[in-house]
Amino acid sequence: MSAESKVDASLESIRTELARNPASTTTLNLIVWIDDPKRRDWIVERATMLAEKHPSFTLILDNTGECGEAATVTTRARAGGGTLSASQGERVELDVSCYDAPKVAEYVETLSRSGVPTLLWWSGMKVGSRPVFDALLPHADTLLVDSAGSVTDERGLRSLVGFRRDHPEIVLRDLAWLRLRPWLDMIANFFDDRQSTREAFTIRRLTIASGSAAEALYLAAWLASSLNWKAAGPDTFSDMDGNRVTFSREERGEIRRVQRVCVETETTSYCAEVTDNPQVVRVASEGANALEPRLYPLRALDNASLLERAVLEPGRDTLYETTLATVGTLLG
Amino acid sequence: MTATRTQTSDGVAVNPLRRGLSTNRIPDPCNIVFFGASGDLMKRMLMPAMWNLRLDDILPSNFGIVGFSRSEFSDDEFRGAMRKSVDEFSRSGPAKEPLWSDFAQHLSYISGDFDDVNCFHKLREHLEKNDKELGTGGNRLFYLSTPPSVFSSIIEQLDKAGLGPRDNKAGWSRIIIEKPFGTDLDSARALQAEVEKVFPEKQVYRIDHYLGKEPVQDIMALRFANVIFEPVWNRRYVDSVQITAAETVGVEGRGGYYDNAGALRDMIQNHVMNLVALVAMEPPVSSDADSIRDEKFKVLRAIRPIEPGRVILDSARGQYDAGSINGKPVPAYREEPDVRPDSNTETYAAVKLWIDNWRWADVPFYMRSGKRLAHKNSEIAIRFRSLPHRLFGEAGDMLDNNVLVMKIQPEEGISLRFNAKVPGPRMHIRSVSMDFNYGTGFGVVSAPAYERLIGDAMRGDATLFTRWDAVETAWQIVMPVLENWENNADESFPNYSAGSQGPPASDRLLARDGREWQRI
Repeated sequence: MSAESKVDASLESIRTELARNPASTTTLNLIVWIDDPKRRDWIVERATMLAEKHPSFTLILDNTGECGEAATVTTRARAGGGTLSASQGERVELDVSCYDAPKVAEYVETLSRSGVPTLLWWSGMKVGSRPVFDALLPHADTLLVDSAGSVTDERGLRSLVGFRRDHPEIVLRDLAWLRLRPWLDMIANFFDDRQSTREAFTIRRLTIASGSAAEALYLAAWLASSLNWKAAGPDTFSDMDGNRVTFSREERGEIRRVQRVCVETETTSYCAEVTDNPQVVRVASEGANALEPRLYPLRALDNASLLERAVLEPGRDTLYETTLATVGTLLG
Repeated sequence: MTATRTQTSDGVAVNPLRRGLSTNRIPDPCNIVFFGASGDLMKRMLMPAMWNLRLDDILPSNFGIVGFSRSEFSDDEFRGAMRKSVDEFSRSGPAKEPLWSDFAQHLSYISGDFDDVNCFHKLREHLEKNDKELGTGGNRLFYLSTPPSVFSSIIEQLDKAGLGPRDNKAGWSRIIIEKPFGTDLDSARALQAEVEKVFPEKQVYRIDHYLGKEPVQDIMALRFANVIFEPVWNRRYVDSVQITAAETVGVEGRGGYYDNAGALRDMIQNHVMNLVALVAMEPPVSSDADSIRDEKFKVLRAIRPIEPGRVILDSARGQYDAGSINGKPVPAYREEPDVRPDSNTETYAAVKLWIDNWRWADVPFYMRSGKRLAHKNSEIAIRFRSLPHRLFGEAGDMLDNNVLVMKIQPEEGISLRFNAKVPGPRMHIRSVSMDFNYGTGFGVVSAPAYERLIGDAMRGDATLFTRWDAVETAWQIVMPVLENWENNADESFPNYSAGSQGPPASDRLLARDGREWQRI
């Protein structure tokens, strides 16, 4: 029996099994595409954590191997807790190394639960995966990517900006952006005090050290769109009054992680920097509005909560969309 | 998303970087003063809540937490005691370094009497020092977690020491007042008179922690974010409504307080009455605090006063005897510490109400609350009318009424009971239940109510706090029952065993109407 016919036979039994299951409370189809062997386990682990917490149907499309006899399909179901006796989460892992794009799309079409939203988590790195991406996109209500997944430069963001331009109808989530949320809060916190709120409009310098470009570009673009700065070059903005704001970025530390953000206003400089404990950030300031140094917990990093946020926050994130548009301007 | 140098309507500049970040904006920098900081509530609930607000990045960077109590503590001793309480009671587990040490720098303590104005002058100096050193901007949130007997005194001293809103030109001054707000209608009015001398209503946050529970907030979502429930949410389809707040615990070391309160004051007048209002209210014109509170108030106003002569027919009371809970023997109420051996205080109260308005005319609302019952169970059960005509089912089949149950604690979720055909060749009908559970449905654990409520008060959002008009009306509703019970001892006390479903008198209350309680 060929690998393809083995998988087909397995899938047929899965379909039968799914049809026989008692009514479940599936609220989501989570379709996960993996083609980078180095990140496979990381992604599967997080998809599994999500599937275990939320009543979802998870289909993992694994393209990390070579087409051959070893092609497999496995399925797992988790019994629901509490008063629900129905199955709460089904997960199907499918080795798709032997399949072309239309075949993969067909599997997605036939296995997905109808009537619930579909989130496509695309972690594709190979150029050859593009036809599959194009074939799966019509099935997705939300596309989840990680523009800092495994590249430290700005390639991921560039392709995302291009995608946004070509597909404005798709709800887009980027883990690189979601990962920045504690930093957005921390930077906003510099100016929460009523006395220093207006100071945000006098920022003159922005310095960001991060392990990959996406973090620095997102943070700079967020500040720029929030404060109405115009990009005047890759490292310069001009603010609402025409003052120059310089932006410098440094590649430092682990990929997907911010190390340090410094903002200088006309009167005060504020810096937030990761301490020896990677889950703690120290915030310090100097100048007219300086405050005592503070420590902040840096939570929700590198765990399934980012995915949860992508799943639980419904609809478009206008803050993100505006920021991504500004990233596009920054990247030219 | 573009920035303009905008201000809010009260002239406060808006942080342009907060736009779009979260619906829950970070509160203004502020000092939070906890009166009664050496008490049990502080230890079990309030300090763990503050710590978790910090961990969740909901506290502003510039904040101060000041404990104020009679007990003698140095700042460091207070910090040590608070760390112990966090280690023991926080949902996030023991406090971790270096975050705790950073957090603890914001903690300080003042020892003083609640009626000594000099101590309040000392508090004022301390807060002004915090404003300078911690950047707390003159904003102050006072939390009264003391016994109610000293509420008035604290408010009076705050005013005398220039700590009220009138004297605070730099920022805002708000006050959170723990329940009970008064012990009867007169004392509530007297307390309100003291409060409003110093704090305008918009700065008063009367806390009822039930309202901070996620399932309670979901009552409005269920009703007004779905189209399928509202059309049947009225007298045409609803037979009756049952609201239950059952506990397995006894008085838990609060015998002295409870023996002067009882179930009617402790639970029905506040928690349960708030649930009645949420279930029965009309759709508010918007989701802002006053629109919602206006509608809740309208429900309370529409509740038919219980005539003194009907108290015996429309209410039931009980007091627990010795029994067993979860297989462990527990003593009778009258054997609890600090309880009078001949106490006539009710540990169980059940009341039937009528809401005289277009939507609910002739639909009885049954409320009950009790201690030492079979299970801990708080829920609202909407029981729908019987079928107009029985078409299916064999002679022995029970065709139950549809029941929608909103579970508040310990389970959090929604359950709908309906009739379905039993598989097979014959038309057997059986009642089945369709359940939604918050934990499995959303995969998230609800934050404790105190975290939500303190965060809201810091932000100035009063939606989940009780307005004075509602408090006053709720007292008016229960007063006839309260007076009757106080003036007429119940000779049958104790009249239910610990671990049971409650007193027989409560069952008779519904049996007279041809109904029965949901099992606890």
